[in-house]
Amino acid sequence: MTNDPLYERLLESSWRGPLSEAEQAELKAWLEAHPEARAHWEDELALNEGLTRLPDVLLSNNFTARVMQALDLEQAAEARSRTGRRFGWRPRLAWSLRVGLGAFVLVAAWLAFHRAEVVERRNIAESLAVVANVSSLPSPRILEDFDAIRVMNSTPPADEQLLSLLQ
Amino acid sequence: MLLVKQGDREAFSQLVEKYKRPVMNLAARMLRDLAEAEDIAQNVFVQVYKSAGRYQVSSKFSTWLFTIARNLCLNEIRRRSRHPADSMDASHPEQEDQPLQQFEDKKTVSPPDRLLHGELEAKIHQAVSELPENQRLAILLCRQDELSYEEIAKVLGCSLSATKSLIHRGRETLKQKLKPYLRSGVWLSPE
Repeated sequence: MTNDPLYERLLESSWRGPLSEAEQAELKAWLEAHPEARAHWEDELALNEGLTRLPDVLLSNNFTARVMQALDLEQAAEARSRTGRRFGWRPRLAWSLRVGLGAFVLVAAWLAFHRAEVVERRNIAESLAVVANVSSLPSPRILEDFDAIRVMNSTPPADEQLLSLLQ
Repeated sequence: MLLVKQGDREAFSQLVEKYKRPVMNLAARMLRDLAEAEDIAQNVFVQVYKSAGRYQVSSKFSTWLFTIARNLCLNEIRRRSRHPADSMDASHPEQEDQPLQQFEDKKTVSPPDRLLHGELEAKIHQAVSELPENQRLAILLCRQDELSYEEIAKVLGCSLSATKSLIHRGRETLKQKLKPYLRSGVWLSPE
């Protein structure tokens, strides 16, 4: 509406509550000099009045008692929490034992599996070593004429009848 | 507050008595849900008691209190926006013409006047509740006698000029929405 510092100050003062006598005198003089601002001022005044007249919200009769009760509950909960912290090591210990046991079983299982794997690898390595040694045997070519040689070396069965005649 | 810091529950109870109404008003107008507002207001005081050790005597208690209230209200609004189904009591668009909350009827006015004032209160309440969060909070805190503009700025966590700007913009919106009622002069008539 206006940027006059005096009017702004009076306006801000009126937002907080009724103007003092000195302020009212200042306002009267100012409005006489600025009659165009009167409607604006009256709107402001009416709004102030409307806001002031807003009634108090209904409050339950036992509000304070309920606050004190809420406080008691809060303090009791805090006390329980403190007690819980003091003796809370028991469930924590049981939980830790369970976790520890579980971890032990897992590690043991892993170690057993690992050990079995090592043994299996060792057996495979040994088998491979045996196969590797086979390379030092004579070449299979030497067996090429095996059948012929075998036949040559074989002698016919003894003629039992001739032998007896000769004797 | 110094006694509360030492764990004096009686002093704390007196503190709650003194500040319960402004805190509840702020929470209800920020959250638009009476039941949730009461829960939040209770939580504000529980937080005050729990955090009493961190309270610095150099700062003003009401500034500290409203900062806690503001944080809890904004947290609740954020939570609600993440889980919109949680808030079953929140206002529904089809009920916009209805007063959003229950108010104490302290005034003894004639039935027609009460009807008129009730309607006006509902309109202004609705207009306030439709403001953006930060403008709404600034305007509501502005009506707290105990807080200066500097303290409101502290609660809002912004500069003094930004605070005044928020209030100004919020009021301009309210004036636009309530123009017919403002011009009627009903609010200016004496009881």
